[in-house]
Amino acid sequence: MQTLIIIDRPPYGSWSGRESLDMAFSLAAFDQPVSLLFVGEGVLWLNKGQDATGIAQKSVERNLKAAAMFGIESLMADQSACQRFSLTGQTLIDGVETVENLRATLRRYDHVVFPG
Amino acid sequence: MSQESCHFTLVITGAPYSSQAPQTALGFAWAVVASGHAIDRVFLYGEGVHLASALSCPPSDETNWTSAWGEFLEQHSVPGIACIASALRRGLIDPAEQQRHELPASNLAAPFSIAGLGEWVEGVMQSSRVIYFHGGD
Repeated sequence: MQTLIIIDRPPYGSWSGRESLDMAFSLAAFDQPVSLLFVGEGVLWLNKGQDATGIAQKSVERNLKAAAMFGIESLMADQSACQRFSLTGQTLIDGVETVENLRATLRRYDHVVFPG
Repeated sequence: MSQESCHFTLVITGAPYSSQAPQTALGFAWAVVASGHAIDRVFLYGEGVHLASALSCPPSDETNWTSAWGEFLEQHSVPGIACIASALRRGLIDPAEQQRHELPASNLAAPFSIAGLGEWVEGVMQSSRVIYFHGGD
């Protein structure tokens, strides 16, 4: 059972993304294969060098850096969304795979979650 | 029954009275059992945990979604589980958590219980389908 969790909202403005990430970590903790896909404004999660201390939040970048260590199989980002937000090799955090064909990507998973 | 029977996990992430999610999910749940299928569990996540508050008190001419859901869960012996991390952040507390965190009150409505995301993981692993009901904002 391959699960894909999709994040389509920017970080910090709402709690839903953090709770989506918790779902991914939880599957990984139970040894269930899981990947994350960032689309639309959600790709801003992947911006390098985030500092959220000014709004009394923890940087989500740190959580994402730990993703591989906790068993999340891959971090993927929609390439066209990355272009829209000027996220390139230099501004993206390490270890992100950009994908061109979202439909083909989604088809690889048994269970796709849009945590809303 | 001619078709194969399915068993569902329902995940509700939208709160009552600010979204349609709990109501739509309940309609779906009644339709599931009416068609001879089954619900394994209902998992409340994010804002959805507000559905399990014993203190919501809508006007008498509006549906109390907590009671309506409670009735369904009891009648069909379906576990209704609120995610503990979502619940504690939003002030949905059972007596054990009240004691652990030394809080002045608890407010979890019967027959709901509080447990971890592992319950959702089990749904993903074991149910034939996991259906999500979001707030849709």
